[in-house]
Amino acid sequence: MFRNNYDNDSVTFSPQGRIFQVEYAAEAVKQGSVVVGIASKTHAVLVAIKRNAEELSSYQKKLFPIDEHVGIAIAGLTSDARVLSNFMKQQCLGHRLTYGRNMPVRTLVDMIGSKAQINTQHYGKRPYGVGLLVAGVDEQGPHLFEFQPSGMTEEMVAFAIGARSQMARTYLEKNIDKFADCGREELVRHGLRALKESLVQDRELTVDNTSVGVAGAVKVDDGSTKVEPFQVYDQQDVAAWIESVADDKEGGAGAGEGEGEGEGEGMEVDS
Amino acid sequence: MDHRPQAWGRPRDDVYGAYDASYLQTNGPKTATQSPIVTGTSVIAIKFKDGVVMAADNLASYGSLARFTDVKRLRPFLSTSIVGFGGDVSDMQFLDRHLNELAIDEAYEHESTATTDTDSPSKTGQLNAANLHKYLSKLMYRRRSDFDPLWNQVLVAGFDAHAKPFLASVDLRGTTFTSPSLATGFGAMLAQPIMRRFAATEEDAAALTREQAVDVVKECMKVLFYRDARSLDRYSIAVVTKDGVELSEDEQLEKQSWAFAERIRGYGTQVV
Amino acid sequence: MTSIGTGYDLANSIFSPDGRNFQVEYAVKAVENGGTSIGIRCKDGVVLAVEKLVTSKLLKPSANKRIATVDRHLGVVYSGMIPDGRHFIDRARDEARAWRDTFKTPISTADLASRMGGYMQAYTLYQSVRPFGITAIVGGFDSTAEATVDGEVGAGPSCGAGGKVAGKTHGGPFLYMIEPSGLYWGYYGAATGKGRQAAKAELEKLDLGGPAGGPALTLEEAVKEAARIIYVAHDDDKEFELEMTWISGLDGPTKGLHQEVPKALREEAERLAKKAQEGKMEE
Repeated sequence: MFRNNYDNDSVTFSPQGRIFQVEYAAEAVKQGSVVVGIASKTHAVLVAIKRNAEELSSYQKKLFPIDEHVGIAIAGLTSDARVLSNFMKQQCLGHRLTYGRNMPVRTLVDMIGSKAQINTQHYGKRPYGVGLLVAGVDEQGPHLFEFQPSGMTEEMVAFAIGARSQMARTYLEKNIDKFADCGREELVRHGLRALKESLVQDRELTVDNTSVGVAGAVKVDDGSTKVEPFQVYDQQDVAAWIESVADDKEGGAGAGEGEGEGEGEGMEVDS
Repeated sequence: MDHRPQAWGRPRDDVYGAYDASYLQTNGPKTATQSPIVTGTSVIAIKFKDGVVMAADNLASYGSLARFTDVKRLRPFLSTSIVGFGGDVSDMQFLDRHLNELAIDEAYEHESTATTDTDSPSKTGQLNAANLHKYLSKLMYRRRSDFDPLWNQVLVAGFDAHAKPFLASVDLRGTTFTSPSLATGFGAMLAQPIMRRFAATEEDAAALTREQAVDVVKECMKVLFYRDARSLDRYSIAVVTKDGVELSEDEQLEKQSWAFAERIRGYGTQVV
Repeated sequence: MTSIGTGYDLANSIFSPDGRNFQVEYAVKAVENGGTSIGIRCKDGVVLAVEKLVTSKLLKPSANKRIATVDRHLGVVYSGMIPDGRHFIDRARDEARAWRDTFKTPISTADLASRMGGYMQAYTLYQSVRPFGITAIVGGFDSTAEATVDGEVGAGPSCGAGGKVAGKTHGGPFLYMIEPSGLYWGYYGAATGKGRQAAKAELEKLDLGGPAGGPALTLEEAVKEAARIIYVAHDDDKEFELEMTWISGLDGPTKGLHQEVPKALREEAERLAKKAQEGKMEE
């Protein structure tokens, strides 16, 4: 095999100006199971597929609460995600202690961005092998950010990372105009539908392999925002949501496959 | 003149005797600030239905000497809050520089968070007066815990997260306090009772108009000038409302009447 | 690139026999792939503009700002690796704050360029780091007003801060561009990134006053030229967003602050830029 001389560390540019170690780290993100995030005017949601190592083992955790108003979804090396998650928790707590408010989500995301960038510029360090979707609410309303191992952070309307996430992104791109005015439940359902796009054949969403996280910010009359704290839903708490998207035609291998025209809008089951 | 450079700018030994170096203690416990040096006196503030009024005179005293007569002790923060400083003036200057840096950092944050594409950036998301007060209280408490206090009592006025008028104080020990009206220093004894007549409770304050609040504060400044020997009749007054901070820094106390002085024994030049 | 494979390009801070540091040259390649950034210095201010390539439809429109403020009166835009640019800005802000702590006055554009040039250069010196994959354009307006005395809470001495020479002016608009090597120069018009060649050609046609003085573009005209140049330098097939900021003196529209160009003016500038593009197509 051709030996690439420029991919041994993250302090060496290739003649094209690329840093292969960082690009390889981005590959690690694609090894993780898929996670999807969407933000509307009032809510930010994260949904994730959890894997289990073997039939009898438990399922991994994909969603982590950071602070009252922020949560993350991870794809890639879980242990790297824990480092970032702990850091984010501490920063949020510190900010709350000194200023008595929720840390602005952008500020938080910029912090991990800077932290990750350092790892791409110094010998002996390696880039983080994890990508994050950060969903949260602050005084500006709901936000969704993507974080990459390169230290790149961008605010998104909706996004998906992890294995086979391109299919989920295609779904999100197709429906992007609908998200802004979506209610809480419909936003979660869009997330789950995007998730289903990325499932391999003959896999489906179950209460065991699906996680949902929601944070909200609803404007109150006096101009302030009432925060719905970020909360993760698992097991039976996601059953109704899964059920409500089960018959969609867009599911890769949903229960309703073959039935054809089960358009999501008409099939809502309110929880 | 003594031609030796070592002697320049020092008291002459032949006149004053040799310098007593025993004053230069090189051992012993580390000492930090033990007392304020140049000081500002009272700061007073009262809430009203649409905001807060704050005032402080323009004097910085060196002991009992009226040393600086144009010192501005009300400082706006982000044009949404106002901070009034009583106590040590150099510590106030330190805090002022520090708050300026905080405001610059806050602007960075706001810039990157701004998502609305409007001509005038919205104020939401910026540090409000409640956040600022929390920050200052942590700073003051930290410094007192380091045995290196900033010798001030500070009033912070503006709005809280619910867009309600906000007024609170923090002192050199990190003690925090909030009330519909607040005063530091001598004002706590002399002005506070007067302000309480108009705003004893939050409900009373919410009924006050801006004009009433300004009148009360001006009246208090007059009483303070009458009775506080470290005060001045030139003062600054600030009104914080949702529209921002209106600060006027060169007000003159008007309609003074010193007739009362003649009836008080021991006041002014009377000795009997 | 004839020296690829000779081994002299495998680590930073290594000279090749002909005296080149290849890693720095490769870093420049990273810059040349990035969206075009430009800066224009005119008589009454500075304009910064960047072509933000839209890499995904899912990006939140106009949410991800690329031009950053440093202190209150300086702006930084860059082309190349965006996380490196964030690092650069973090450091520039630290420098500006340290300058204030030490000298009790805002840092001048020239001093910030010098500090940051030094910082970038330091990343070419060691094998343990890599150079920055960005070229940064730093614009600023150094105040022409009398500097206040530190911590001035009173009127201060009536004679001013002292050391004054009658008739001598100071401050004004400044523009610098810093390359991955740490090299920096002052400019009247600066361009970097993918479309730099086309942008430079356009910048050279502008009347920016120059060392000889004379009539020059106003700040508002410069905003419109900046928008037009970004459109000219843009490669047509890809979608992009235009981001522009400006800095004027105390008597100008931004009152000495670095700010985003107001929406109305930016849209007008974009409209004119598109019109100019269409005019060109027809020729």
